[in-house]
Formats: sequence, structure tokens, C-alpha cells
Amino acid sequence: MEHTVERELTVPEEAQEVWRSLAEPEWLGEDAAIELREAGEVHAGERDGFVEEADAPRRLVFWWSAPAEEATRVEIDLDELDEGTRVRVTESRPLAILDGRDLAIEFGGAGGGAGPVASGAAAVPLVGASR
Amino acid sequence: MPAAHPVDAADAVFGALSDSTRRALYALLGQRGEATATDLARELPVSRQAVQKHLGTLAGAGLVATRRSGREVLYRPTPGPMSEALEWMAEVGSQWDDRLAALDRQLARGRSLSP
Repeated sequence: MEHTVERELTVPEEAQEVWRSLAEPEWLGEDAAIELREAGEVHAGERDGFVEEADAPRRLVFWWSAPAEEATRVEIDLDELDEGTRVRVTESRPLAILDGRDLAIEFGGAGGGAGPVASGAAAVPLVGASR
Repeated sequence: MPAAHPVDAADAVFGALSDSTRRALYALLGQRGEATATDLARELPVSRQAVQKHLGTLAGAGLVATRRSGREVLYRPTPGPMSEALEWMAEVGSQWDDRLAALDRQLARGRSLSP
């Protein structure tokens, strides 16, 4: 949650047209290029990456990173509305997301058997670790 | 730029919080505001020594700070390092604001051309 950024934009164009526009990547930044196909290359400024998923004209997922920075995952979903298209962008840090899920289980799990199981499991490595 | 190595800082934070006992400890400390290792050990199924060691790991990641009060050492949570995540969100969020505005302008050029 804390390691996810979401933004959206609603435009009057149909999804197909927005999709085409994604392939003209000046919007992505200076000196940008993006191949709208699986394993296609992504390039924007000092960032490089690759396309994970390209489901025209609905969903584009790619990974990118700048030198010496962790890779992040970008999901772009195009939702066709009655009039126009909603463009939803989600950029996330996968490491943080995995950790966040884990945290949610630990802290949010008041019911179920999560509590006792978690504390029992935690006590085991402690014995070795405290030496 | 406040942090020279934001990724390292995040790694230290997530590393420290990757252990369920340390997370429980950190959450407990958050509830208490300030506590000694002995206080914390009473509430957790681990020894005081183990609590101390975990507090050391949390302190290493900058997640807790200590204060001496007489013969006691009091620990308190410092949410500071977590702000690295907030910084990231703010930066990445504003980048997407710019990119989506640019995408809108790009599409708008077609709008004015269409009949």
C-alpha cells in the first residue's frame, strides 16, 4: 500500500486510440521508446526496462529502472467508459509489496490461526539467533 | 537529496521488519511509545536477551532510538526511515502527474484535428 503509487486520467478517446498513443512515447519523457509487445523494450531518459504484459488495448505492464536504482513495476490499465477511457497507472516496488503483504498477515490477522502460528514460528529461529 | 542511498536505507528497514518477532516488537513499541527491553520481553514469548538483540537490529535500521533514564535504557520507535517510502511515493507520483498530463496533451492534439 505504502509502496504503490496510483494515478488516473480520463480522456474522451476510445481505448484503442489511447493504446496507440502509448506507443508514441513522448509522454513518457524525453528520448523515450516503448514496444507494446511482451518482452518489448522500454526506454525513457536514463531508465531502461522491458514489457511484461501487453494486452491491447486493455493492459500494459512493464518494469524499469534507472542506473543504481531498484526496478519498479508499472501497470497501465485502460478502462473503456461510456464516453472515453480511464487510464489507470500503478507503479510499485515489488520488494516492498511482498513485505507489506507479510505485515498485513501479521498485524491484521486477529482472527484465524495466524497469531499463534506466527509467534510459534518466530520463537524457533530466536533460539539460534540469540546465541 | 537527503539520503545518498535510498535503496540501501529501504533494504535495512525491510530487512529489519522481515522477521515476525521484530515486527511484533516494533508494533508493541509503537503502542507503548517508550519501553525497556524488560517491559517488552514480558509481553512477548521471547527472552529479554532476544528482545535486546532484536531491538539492536531495529536500531541499526534506524527504526528505534534509545534514551538512558537512570539505570534503564528506554527504547522508542522512530518512524523516520519509513518516510523514505513516502518520499518515493511523492516523487514517483509527481512524475506520473507530469506523464499523464503529457499523455493528455498528446491525445488532445488529435482532438483538435478531428472533425
